[in-house]
Amino acid sequence: MKPRVRFVYAPQLAAWRLGEDHPFKPERLDALKDLLERTGLLPDELVRAPDALPAGSLEAVHDPGYVEVVRAASHGKRLEEAYRHGLGTSDTPLSPGLHDAVTSVCAATWTAMNVVLSGEATRAAAFSGGLHHAMRDRASGFCVYNDLNVAIAHARSKGARVAYLDVDAHHGDGVQDAFYADADVLTVSLHESGRYLFPGTGYGSELGREAGRGWSVNVPLEPFTDDASFLEAFDLVVPAALEAFAPDVIVLQAGADAHALDPLADLQLSLQGMRAVYERVVGLADALCEGRLVVTGGGGYAAFHVPPRAWAHAWSAMTGAPLPERLPEAWRQRWRDVAGHDLPEFALDAPQDTLPESRRVAMTSHNRAVARRVLDVASPLWARRVGEEST
Amino acid sequence: MLVRDVMTTPAVAIDPDEPISDVTALLAQRGVRHFPVVENGRVVGIVSDRDVRTVGSDHPDARPGVRPSDPVRRIMHHPVWTAHPLDPIEDTAKFLRDHAIGAMPVVEDEDLIGIVSASDLLDALVRMTGVGQAASRFEVELANRPGALARLLTRLSELDANVVSVLTPYSDPDVVRFVLRVGTIDARHVADTLRASGFDVTWPPTQP
Repeated sequence: MKPRVRFVYAPQLAAWRLGEDHPFKPERLDALKDLLERTGLLPDELVRAPDALPAGSLEAVHDPGYVEVVRAASHGKRLEEAYRHGLGTSDTPLSPGLHDAVTSVCAATWTAMNVVLSGEATRAAAFSGGLHHAMRDRASGFCVYNDLNVAIAHARSKGARVAYLDVDAHHGDGVQDAFYADADVLTVSLHESGRYLFPGTGYGSELGREAGRGWSVNVPLEPFTDDASFLEAFDLVVPAALEAFAPDVIVLQAGADAHALDPLADLQLSLQGMRAVYERVVGLADALCEGRLVVTGGGGYAAFHVPPRAWAHAWSAMTGAPLPERLPEAWRQRWRDVAGHDLPEFALDAPQDTLPESRRVAMTSHNRAVARRVLDVASPLWARRVGEEST
Repeated sequence: MLVRDVMTTPAVAIDPDEPISDVTALLAQRGVRHFPVVENGRVVGIVSDRDVRTVGSDHPDARPGVRPSDPVRRIMHHPVWTAHPLDPIEDTAKFLRDHAIGAMPVVEDEDLIGIVSASDLLDALVRMTGVGQAASRFEVELANRPGALARLLTRLSELDANVVSVLTPYSDPDVVRFVLRVGTIDARHVADTLRASGFDVTWPPTQP
């Protein structure tokens, strides 16, 4: 039987702007949708308009006072207070309509979750979402409202246990923080080490607290981590954590900035490696929770070069429909003008080896040690939790 | 930052005539390692967990002939160094290291108002760096000359980047190294801009 899938989309999700020349470009969503349509992967019946966000959804995961300040600041009011909440900086500048735009991002991810929980589809994607740095009362790292937390809180209100997996190059701090003491939400983040990269957190020793102890998992990776080493760390930690947790639904934050061409981070993944990650996650959802999977976007600042192709691979893994090797010429022409540079010819990357062999060996062995350490420390906590539940 | 900002308060004080075995029980309950000893409202000594735990053992630091039922007076250290709540924490940290001690009672007008330990000072270091707040970490080496830091901060302010913390882990007559935590996700853009403006950015590392 073919999996039932939905692609949550509305034009306004691609139409907002954080600012002139801002690295976060929501219009990459339209480049993705256009690519999927031109390759026949997105028939109209799979496109799902977002529902309106139910009242109280933002306030379930954000301080109500913070939401009020964002709303007011989007109309040019209470600017001094906004600054105290991390707004009005170069990362998260204020603009008219900001509140409405980021609320619609939350609505899209909420809808993807609701589509899966209600059984309308087994797998749903909201590539507009993935704003994982937003905190309860603070904007951070291009993120104002945390759409992932909105969706996870919705799943929790329906009694579902949620496994959140974050493969963005940056630590998923806003999601980890929200559910740090929650035994019903597992967060797993693989990212470039906080020694080198924003937000500076996500060390292996961050394991959750109280009832949630063991259910926050972090694998900080070396700069220039390649496909092989990333997948090795993934295979060591992720299946074991998810199996021990036994989720009802998996959320994948598929930030595309772990790619070698990303200008903001230093990981060296290729689209082959990213595709392999997406396929593994689909397989884990099938094995552990009857396929239930919500996928979002996230980072990805080689905005037209990488995210549309990466998420086309994610969508291809979710639908089982293959992506053609060569990208449609009409797509490349249309988006070259928007991007201001040539776009790639192929869906996958040409193999390259940019790292000197000695660095590659050191990186691989460091990442392996980190992943094993995390597994050593966390797995006894998982075993204990699972033991407690069964008694 | 001053001692009053980082001290543990109130301190759990003990009487010099209490039996040592009572202090053993208190250690387990309170999870602290030092107790000021107070007699007639004045701090007269201090005992550490090690002083208590070695009683009756064959540990080389154990006082011979002392039993758990003896009064605390027999093992307390005295006279005792005390800190003032308005002492800068860096002076206190240096004092603890110079005298190889782990904690000092904090005394104001002869009254015991708290205790400051090496752990409190480590917590202060963590707060001073801003580690744990979302930020990117930079190391910049500047000439040890007037205005060098001002020029760096001016360049950062032109990028609309908020500075979370500034520390000075190293200096010699020519060079000062600053560690800054800056509230931006786009660290490479900030580093590239600073480098292009002539600043010696040693962290984050450059691409190979």
